[in-house]
Order: sequence, then structure tokens, then C-alpha cells
Amino acid sequence: MTELPTIDWPTAVVFAPLAGAILAFAWPRRAAALGLASVLVTAGAVAALALQVLAEGAVLTRLGNWGAPLGIDLRADGLSTVLLAMTVGVGAFVSLGALDSYAPARADDRTRRYFWPLWLLLLTGLNGAFLSTDVFNLYVMLEVIALAAVGLTVLGGGRAAVRAGLDYMYASILGALLFLMGVGFVYLELGRLDFAGLIAAEPAPALTAALALMIAGLLLKTALFPLHFWLPGAHANATAPASALLSGLVVKVSLYVFLRLTQYMPLPDELLVTLIGALGAGAILWGGIQALRAERLKLLVAWSTVVQIGLIFVAFARAGQVGLAESWKAVALLILAHAVAKAGMFLAAGRIKDEVGHDRIADLDRSPIRPTLAQFTFALAAISLIGLPPSLGFAGKWVLMEGAMAAGYWHWVGVTMIGTLFSVAYFSRVLASFLRFDRMRSPVAEHQGWALADAAPLILALSALGLGLAAAPILAFMEIGYPFGATP
Amino acid sequence: MVEPLLLFDALLGLAIAALAVAVLTVHDRFAMIVLFIVFGLMSALAWVRLSAPDVALAEAAIGTGLTGALLLTTLHHIRAAPAAPVPVPGGVVVANLGLCALIFGGLAFAFLLTPLQAPGLAPAVAQNMAASGVGHPVTAVLLNFRAYDTLMEVVVLLAAIVAVWMVERGTVQAPAPVLGEIYRGFSRLALPAIVVIGSYLLWVGAQAPGGAFQGGAVLAAVGLLLLLGRLYRPQPAHRPFARAGFVLGTAVFAGVALLVAGGGRLPFEYPAAHAKTLILLIEGMVTISIAVTLAALFHGREPEAVPVSEKSE
Amino acid sequence: MTSGLIFGLTGIAVFAIGLFGALVMVEPLRRVLALKLCSVGAGFLLVVGAWREPPEAPDPVPHALVITGIVVMISATAVALALIRRLHMLERDTDD
Repeated sequence: MTELPTIDWPTAVVFAPLAGAILAFAWPRRAAALGLASVLVTAGAVAALALQVLAEGAVLTRLGNWGAPLGIDLRADGLSTVLLAMTVGVGAFVSLGALDSYAPARADDRTRRYFWPLWLLLLTGLNGAFLSTDVFNLYVMLEVIALAAVGLTVLGGGRAAVRAGLDYMYASILGALLFLMGVGFVYLELGRLDFAGLIAAEPAPALTAALALMIAGLLLKTALFPLHFWLPGAHANATAPASALLSGLVVKVSLYVFLRLTQYMPLPDELLVTLIGALGAGAILWGGIQALRAERLKLLVAWSTVVQIGLIFVAFARAGQVGLAESWKAVALLILAHAVAKAGMFLAAGRIKDEVGHDRIADLDRSPIRPTLAQFTFALAAISLIGLPPSLGFAGKWVLMEGAMAAGYWHWVGVTMIGTLFSVAYFSRVLASFLRFDRMRSPVAEHQGWALADAAPLILALSALGLGLAAAPILAFMEIGYPFGATP
Repeated sequence: MVEPLLLFDALLGLAIAALAVAVLTVHDRFAMIVLFIVFGLMSALAWVRLSAPDVALAEAAIGTGLTGALLLTTLHHIRAAPAAPVPVPGGVVVANLGLCALIFGGLAFAFLLTPLQAPGLAPAVAQNMAASGVGHPVTAVLLNFRAYDTLMEVVVLLAAIVAVWMVERGTVQAPAPVLGEIYRGFSRLALPAIVVIGSYLLWVGAQAPGGAFQGGAVLAAVGLLLLLGRLYRPQPAHRPFARAGFVLGTAVFAGVALLVAGGGRLPFEYPAAHAKTLILLIEGMVTISIAVTLAALFHGREPEAVPVSEKSE
Repeated sequence: MTSGLIFGLTGIAVFAIGLFGALVMVEPLRRVLALKLCSVGAGFLLVVGAWREPPEAPDPVPHALVITGIVVMISATAVALALIRRLHMLERDTDD
């Protein structure tokens, strides 16, 4: 760690947030400063790693110099690096938002002190998962993420949050244990746990069982309909920065692992691909209906996550089994788009709730306070989630539709269209109330409720919009190191 | 291939499965936990039969003993709650029973079709044992070959205590169960012996079954006895020391992993000459952290100066 | 018939029983125990994967994995139990 060139960036990406977590927990009074510093150091490490990946291709670190399968390797290819950048980028802005949300005036001392170690432990787990090349190591990372995420869910400490956190805990641990059982079958058959072993493996009953168990666990953790039951409560009742991290980042990691595994251990049957797409369609319909019925803003945003997860699985199935090798690009773009836009939206929703004092959708336009900047941010994020050009969400949907049409799968095109209509409908419920002023008798305090705290969500929402223009370079970068080519 | 032993295995397997069913079906919650403890000990016995003494030791000490203690103290706190809040509709039970039977059938089918005793990583471990710095293969895997996993496992433990301290805030709870006079006397006598056993397990782990986790669990039992016997009462002023204890293992482990890097070496690549010393250092610090953390997980809430119960909700 | 076969099936049975419990049980402590059963079941499978007919030595890697799994599981259990205690306290306070 003394000379610059000797720093191993993949290791740094995992250890920087871990060091921050240790320091922030050991010195609670300095938690915010230490935490923010550590997020920034992590961001620097990810940037350095991205430059290295750009220059040299995929970066491999053999921890302990044993090499897989005896040891554990970290590997950063284009896809991993983009997701790392997404995580630390979204994380940095949510951290800035947290400075305001957990400011002394708004939150008690405890909430502030515990947010930082939990969030940094979460970041450690997320980064570790994106770099992992070993299924058991992935299990441990999923557990780090699960415990930190549950801690963040119940940070507010209210009864609804604790109940939702407990449901989330059960679902999360059950998902991880299904995954672990799958790991057991992998070792039984292959006698090794690294991705290279999975790629080289011949089909076998034990591997089918392993894949089924792991997929079931991951779908539960990523909340694909009908395994979504834990998500709306957990995401709606957490404090806003925690919701942004949970909805923007945490559900993405199981999606990412799902993507890796299904590329390395192909699904045995076309029917299964269709089934997963059908569950995605179910999520779009059911989540859409629930979002239309939701009475509270944060609950609506949480149901929209269920819809978006469904959309991502439709993208996965868009070209059937033969198209899986290409579908990952649409999936990755949508993951990225949702992470950035949803984090911005949850922060904006939190700002609206903070300023107005409640988040009942029906009464939002009766408030004398108009947090206009937060409302504008919410609308911008909605544009990306609906999928209007030039947003990143549009780019992702475009790749989805293109593949589905090329493969002649018009039903997936139809489902995507219906999903888009639904999102227009439920976001309009909110946006319409932002534009109405006739419900207030007293003069509207137009300029109240602007704050520096609006900057973080606004930048996230603008990024979701603007990154759509950079979709082509992002796609090109993601292919560095052949994420799903022959060499692991 | 001794027949009586196989018969024993079969009976043990049946007993374990029956105990698992009993844990879920017995009405009384105290009996449920006791049955679970029996189940855990039987499983540990099965793992001894499968020549996995390290795993059996860890399961008995951590998975069964300490988990059982955690469950019992929680039951003590929530004993006022009704045992079964809402009955589940019979149709749901039957459907899930069918689903789980199907899953059992499918997994058993896949298992029976898989030839056992594949080479696995045992040859690779044996080949590299000399370079690992320790004499016991399981310890070599835990602290050298797959040290990164083990570091993250200690991180999970850290995340758990952070979450537990965060969750249980500011409310005065029902007083924890107290040991009677006789047990208090017993704990005073037993404590030094347990400390010796725990330290021995840690030390012997380099060469024989045992190691940081088992040693840490036994030392955590010391903490439990101290807490139960009211020989130690956590004070708000002790929190900085507790936090230092929680992070010690992670910090030293991660620090060593990083500091050995450089000069052509990678993270976690211990220099051959110092491997044994470094691993022992890590193990010692991790043992302390595990013991302190497990005892704190048992105690639960963070010791606070001023209860702020009104602020929640 | 070998010890590996017997205990492999035992482990799968325990996992399925735990899964059933996790899906249908409503009582908080019992759900936690059901999850713990699942983790013991997975532990069985890994230990069986390591097992060799004696006198051959077993594979140490799965043993290390199961020990890691046990520590991870007690961490998760402790958090779940803390949530259960906290929820009980909040519900009792509002019931009064």
C-alpha cells in the first residue's frame, strides 16, 4: 500500500468500505465524516479499476496467490466494473442525501451513528459480490448484504419498519439458504466452487438441482412475482436513504448473480425461460395494479420496483433460450437504469415527505408547502422509469424490444408496452397532484422546501436521463473481458 | 463396511429427521427449543460419524449451544406473546406439504444419481499443506486457502452485532434470567476451566480439530456465564471497549491480508517464513472478537446511559 | 448403502422439513428454527460431499465451508431474534 502501482484495485474496492465500516463503528461521533470519506475512497478505487479494465481488459486477482479452485479469485470484467461504478456512484449521492436526511434536526443520534457502519458493510458486500468468482463466496457475500440491508430497513425503528424488516429477514435468509443448498450440490458433483468449474461442467442431475435451488433463492431475494411479498413493506417503511439503497442497489445484486449463473449454467429448457418471462409479466401486471391502488407515495415507488424487476426478467426472456447470450445486455442496461432512477426517486420522495410532513398521495396537493425541486426530480426519475427517450430506461427498453422483435416474440413486446402504460398511469397519479394548485385556499408557499439536500436526488435523476445518451459506450465497456464468452 | 455401524447410522438419520419434525410440531415453545438442542447434538454426532470432528465441534458449540441460549433468552423476553397468533388455513399447509415433498423427491433423486467420493479439492489441499503454515487441513483452508471467505464470515458477525445494537434500542427490557446461587457458585468454579479449554482449542487448531471458531465459542460461554451470574453487568462506559472487541478480529485480519501484499506478493499471500505466526495472530484476534461478539449477541441491546423509549415509533 | 448415502438423504429430508416450516409457520421463533433446520440440512450435504470411505481422509474444504456457514447462521439468527424481541416490545407497548 506504499507505492501507487502496487495497489491491487479489486482488493481495494472491497477493503476500502470495510475499513470505513470498522472506523465508523468504532468512532460513532465521527461516523458521518469517516463514512463519507470511505465512500469517496471507494469511488476512487472503482475509477482506478475501471481505467485498468479499459486499458488491459478483465482484471484477475488470485487472493493468497493460490488460484482457483483451491483459493478464491476476484475478477473484474466490463460488466462487473459497470455495476461497481453504478453501486458506488449511486451510493455516493445517497450518502450525500443521508447527510441531510439524518441531520440532527430530523433524526436521532442513534439513527445517524448506525446508518454509516451498516451502509458501508452493505457496500463491502455489494462490491464483493460483483467481483466474486466462487459460488460459496457469493453465499457469504449475500449474507453480509442481507444482514446490513435488514439493519438499514429497520433504521427508523417504528413498528411497521420492524415488522417489514423481520419479513425481509426471513425471506432473505431463506433465499440465501436455498442458494447454499445449491452450492452443496455443486460441490457434490464438481468438487470445486469456482465459475471456471461451472463453465466446464457437463450437464448432470446434481447441477440441475443446484441451478434450481440457486435460482429459487435468488428470485426470492430479488423479489420476482410471486416471491415479492416482502419487498413493498420493507422498501416503503424504511427511511428514504435506506429505501434508495435497498431498492436501487440491494435487489440488483441477486439479479446480477442470476445473470452470471444462467450464462455459466444454461437453463436446460426453453420452457423455463418462458416461465421466468411469464413471472416477469405477472410482476408487471400485479405490481402495476398495486401501484395504482397505493395510498402512499413511498409505497407506490416500492411497487414500481416490483414492476421494474418484472420488466428486467421479461428482458431476460426476450429472445428465448437461443437469445440468452445477447439478452444480458438489455438486462444490464435496465438494472443500471433502474438503480440510478429509483435511488433518485426514493430520495426525492423522502424529501417531499420531509417537507410536506406526510406522503399521502391524495393530499399532496393540499399542502401549503410545495417542494418543487423534489417534485421536479421525482418527475425526471419517472421519465426514466417509464422509459421515455433519451433516458437510460429508454435505451434498456429499446434493446429489449429489438431482441424480442428480431426473435418474433411479440408477446414480450406486448407485455413491455402494457408495463409502460401502467407506469405512465401510476406515476401520473403523483405527477398530476404536483401540477394542481386549485385545491389550496391559502396562498401556496411556492419557494419553501428547497434545500441543498435536493441536489443529490436531482443529480441522480438527471444522470438517469442523460446516461441514455451514453448507452452505446456503456454497452461497449460492459463487453470488455467477454463477460459471457468462453474464458471466465 | 461394518453392518452394525450402518444400522446405527440409519437409526441416527431417522432420529434426526424425526426430531426436525418434532421441533416444528411440538406445541410448547420451551420443549421446541429443547428438542432443537437435541436435534443439533444428534446432527453433530452424525458429522462425527462422517469423520468431520471440526464441524461437529462447531455445530455443537455455536450452532446448538449458543443458538439454544439465544433462543431461550428470547423466549424469556417474549413469553407473554401468544404461542400461535393466527392459524394457517389447512389448504395452504397441504399445498406446501406437497411442494416440499416434491422438492425432497427431486433433490433425493438428483443426490442418488450423483456418484459420491469425487476427488474434490482434497488432493490440492494436501499438495499445498506444507506451504500453508499450519498442520491441520481444515485450519489451512479456513485461514489460508480460503481466508477471504473467513474474513467475510467475521464481517457477517460484525454486521450482526451492529444490527442487533441498532435494533434493540432505548427500552428497559424484562430482566434477563438470573442463575441461582448454586449455579453462580458453579460458574465461579467453571469459568477458569472453560477459559483453559477455549484457549486450548484455539492453540490445538493449528494441528488437530479445533480452532478460532470453536475456541471463540467456548470463550463466549464464559461471557454468558458472567452475564447470567451477574458477575459482569454491561455499562454504557464499557461501550468503546466492546466496539473495539467487535472490530478487532476483522481489523487485524484485513490489516494482515493487506500488509503482506507488496513486493510481488498478493493480498492474503503470507510470506512463507511468517505464515505460521501471522495465522496464529489472526486466529487469536479473531477468537477474541468471536467470543466478545457472541456474548454481546446473547446480551442483546446496547447498554445505554439514557433510555429514549419515547422517541421510537 | 454407505454412511454418506444415509446422511445425505437425512440432510435433504431435514432441509425439506425446514423449508416447509419456513413457508407455513407463523410463530416467530419457530420460523427461525425452521431456517436453522434448512442450514443444518445444507451442512449435511456438504459434509457428505467431503466424506470418504474410511480409512481415507475426508476433503477438508467442505468442512471449512460448513464451519463458515454455522457462524453465518448464528449471526443471522441473532439479528432475527433481536427483531422478534423488539417487535414484541413495540406491540406490547401499543396494546396497553
